[in-house]
Amino acid sequence: MAVREVLVYPDPRLKEVCTPAEIDAQETDELVQDLVDTMYDSGHSVGIAAPQIGVCRRVAVVDVSHSKLGKKHNHGLLTLINPTIIESTGSKVMREGCMSVPDYTGNVERAREIVVQFHDRDGQDQVVRCKGFEAVAIQHELDHLDGLLFLDRVSNPKADVFKRKQ
Amino acid sequence: MQHFALTIIGRDRPGIVSSTAEILYQLGCNIADSSNNILGGQFAMILIISHPTITDRDEIEQAFSQLEEQGLSVFVRTLKPGGEQRPELPGELCMISVYGSDKPGIVYQVAKVLSENNINIIDLNTKLIGTAERPVYVMMCETLLPENLETDELKAMMNELKNRLHVDISVRTVTPVEL
Repeated sequence: MAVREVLVYPDPRLKEVCTPAEIDAQETDELVQDLVDTMYDSGHSVGIAAPQIGVCRRVAVVDVSHSKLGKKHNHGLLTLINPTIIESTGSKVMREGCMSVPDYTGNVERAREIVVQFHDRDGQDQVVRCKGFEAVAIQHELDHLDGLLFLDRVSNPKADVFKRKQ
Repeated sequence: MQHFALTIIGRDRPGIVSSTAEILYQLGCNIADSSNNILGGQFAMILIISHPTITDRDEIEQAFSQLEEQGLSVFVRTLKPGGEQRPELPGELCMISVYGSDKPGIVYQVAKVLSENNINIIDLNTKLIGTAERPVYVMMCETLLPENLETDELKAMMNELKNRLHVDISVRTVTPVEL
């Protein structure tokens, strides 16, 4: 259990394509715990991917249930091990920012609804349908696993006006 | 390090950014924030630049004389210390769309209400669209509400303005999300 440092671009680890994680392995479980701890510790984050803490594995966690935007549609804490999006429909634009790219936000268009397949923390194969903010958050985190940042997807940039938690 | 605001405007053509950036590079200037857009047939550049040793704005303006000869207007403003730093901008972010038949005073009336209520405009774009016979004015305004003002209050103000100006106005909150 540990809160890890969140890497900030231009750390090269954020631009790598991650390799699959081992299912049902202690190493993977520890990584998941670190991700969960780091995400909740930041206070405002709704998701984090393994490369953001310097681990090049296809693992991310998402939890939008505490966020106003995610209250309505969410699956609580999602532990996404080796996730793939198998279906996506619609589109939704949100102004995204990222813990790994401070002081910058931009409008990004993503699918409104997705079906994501992944292994959960217990190694079970899962297929979940997500929409709205949760779907956006998952797509943002999954991009990290392929070395993509929201900067690669911005349609128009905006000045950073986050109400940051100190 | 001395910071300057540099404004360049002139008839749009390919190469304006390149020529500007080349001069800045040769001078040894850094470009920090900048906004560069086509407005009508003009290309308008606004840049915050800095230089480790140059403190005299004339020196910078001088370097741009060749651009002025090409029909571009160049203006340099010396920033006071700290003038290059964006202050903390707390408050709810609201996008206001105003559009309707073109008439005098749309920007003024909207901005007046915002200003009177201490609402900060942080991004404003306006565009004249439609035909010469039926011109339509579009104003997109991104604002920050002061802490004591609710979005619904802004909506009410804009609704009143909408009826008074006979334009369409909509207000929506923008929630930047950190993922």
